[in-house]
Amino acid sequence: MVQFNLPANSKVKKGHYYKDNTGSKNIRKVNVYRWDPSKNENPRIDTYEVDMDNCSSKVLDILNKIKNEIDPSIAYRRSCAHGVCGSCAMNMNGKNGLACTKAHSELEGDIDIYPLPHLKVLKDLIGDLSTLYKQYESVEPWLKTTKKNDKENIQSKEDRAKLDGFYECIMCACCSTSCPSYWWNGEKYLGPAVLLQAYRWIIDSRDEDRKERLKKVADELKLYRCHTILNCTNACPKGLNPAKAIAEIKKMLATA
Amino acid sequence: MENKNPISPHIQIYNWHISSLVSISHRITGIINFFTITLIGIWIASLLLGEKNYEYTNLFLSSFFGKFFCLGIIWSFSFQMLSEIRHLFMDLGYGFEPKITKITGLVVLIGSFPLTVIIFVIGRVLI
Repeated sequence: MVQFNLPANSKVKKGHYYKDNTGSKNIRKVNVYRWDPSKNENPRIDTYEVDMDNCSSKVLDILNKIKNEIDPSIAYRRSCAHGVCGSCAMNMNGKNGLACTKAHSELEGDIDIYPLPHLKVLKDLIGDLSTLYKQYESVEPWLKTTKKNDKENIQSKEDRAKLDGFYECIMCACCSTSCPSYWWNGEKYLGPAVLLQAYRWIIDSRDEDRKERLKKVADELKLYRCHTILNCTNACPKGLNPAKAIAEIKKMLATA
Repeated sequence: MENKNPISPHIQIYNWHISSLVSISHRITGIINFFTITLIGIWIASLLLGEKNYEYTNLFLSSFFGKFFCLGIIWSFSFQMLSEIRHLFMDLGYGFEPKITKITGLVVLIGSFPLTVIIFVIGRVLI
């Protein structure tokens, strides 16, 4: 059901203000979404004054700085810090992206950091992605073949090249959580991330389950809730194009 | 047990950009066009009930508000038409690169205004 307003328990309140105590002249205000599951309170926005003279270039560096030097209670996911693991996906100044690859110099004004949109919040910047993972499992993202030879399953260079732009997906969920269709129908619509994965297996020349895979996604809700809003493609931190993958699946179904 | 965790902000914080703006406008103009066509149908049907009905319609359409209304529905129609052409290309798998979606989106948004004027002027000349 489409619900534009946040429910009462999700309304965001003003939080604490952490004044800078380093005496730096190069200060930037960073507003961070906070929610503590152990307290019975609404989410709040805490504002931190961060000394930018002693801060590295990415948004993740700001968060690390806040956690290390100002407020250790802040929670967020991060691991590789090089745009490979997809853990630090979050919403920065109104756009989803990876905090570790997003330079704060690209953001204008005060920096607003929120969790990925329209997810159940587990704590602070950590959203619950279990629905998305279940949907990912439902497209059976593994090679299906009946061949049982001991040799390598060879793929031609051309067939391999077809996977370019799709195999690079790191499942950070930036695209799915940027999609209004996924916000309103997240339980049923598979969302851009999962559909891109589905497409990646559909076009794999080694896979023998192509027809079944297509049949499985050909569903009013699972696939056709994509209305080419293109938030997904605009959000993808790896520069991939989920909208195009979805369009290709639709085209395959229309021409099959 | 019901999950009592809050939902993270979504439409309240997410940035608008050209293709999302065109997408939502496409829906809104679609709904407007649906009602407009129905209204035009009712007008035509009302002519069957007598000459007087034509006078009423004419009076309304030549008033200031009527003209404004006309321009409005022509714009809604123009926008829908251009956006639909964009969608046709997308259905064929073209125009998904972020740069191109931006350009085609702008063409739809800005182009709908001159197209409105053209249709309006053609209408005036014909009538």
